[in-house]
Amino acid sequence: MNRGGLVLLLGIAVGVATHLVYFRVHEPADTDSIDAQLAWMRGELQLSDAQFARIRELHEASNPRLRALAAQVARMEAEFAAFENTRRTTDRVDFIEFARFVETRRAISQQCLDSTRQLVRAAASEMTPSQRARYLGIVALNTQPTGPLTN
Amino acid sequence: MTTPPDPLDPLLDRWTESTESAPDLAPEVWRRIALAEGASRQTGGFWGELDAWLSRPPFAALFVTCCALLGLFLAEVRVNRMQREHSAEIARSYLLLIDPLLKAGPDARLP
Repeated sequence: MNRGGLVLLLGIAVGVATHLVYFRVHEPADTDSIDAQLAWMRGELQLSDAQFARIRELHEASNPRLRALAAQVARMEAEFAAFENTRRTTDRVDFIEFARFVETRRAISQQCLDSTRQLVRAAASEMTPSQRARYLGIVALNTQPTGPLTN
Repeated sequence: MTTPPDPLDPLLDRWTESTESAPDLAPEVWRRIALAEGASRQTGGFWGELDAWLSRPPFAALFVTCCALLGLFLAEVRVNRMQREHSAEIARSYLLLIDPLLKAGPDARLP
């Protein structure tokens, strides 16, 4: 191969290598862990170290309860699907049992809303007014179709 | 005693007869050089030109540097776009973390 061709290949190889290295170094982290989410919140709201520590503490404290509620909500969803299945196949509904189910689901939903609002209020109380406005904007914007968490 | 005839003798005899060069020799030589260069340029085309440029060390260095910068620029564009998507995704994950009803869908909030 002639010299020009070698230089051409070398240039392409260098370009691809720099692209891959830079991209790998600046690649965003995962989104599922609470650490990644809190780190995102810290950057997004420009929280100080003290604010971040307090908000992290609040989230870690409420996390087990929220997870337990999420498990209960999932169980209620499964029960509702079973009710629907029974109604479709047998065309019969146990109204007393269904009324109990609705009551339980309402109570769990209320607990979920209360827990979430409590966490949002507690976290917002650690923020400056501008941070709070931004935070409540994020929370309210993403939950608007089913009702704001900030009431 | 006679010496044997040297085969170079007739050639040397002819060399002494100097001939005048044609008056249009120099222009003809330059014309042929120009024709040969033009022919080689035409047979190489674009790749020949590129090869000629890249064979020069300053242009080769410039080309490799430009490739590296282009790679960095495209990586930066890609990282920016991914970070925007990542930000929206992590906001959604955070809301799923703090609001268990979001996972269940809108029916779960109904009374």
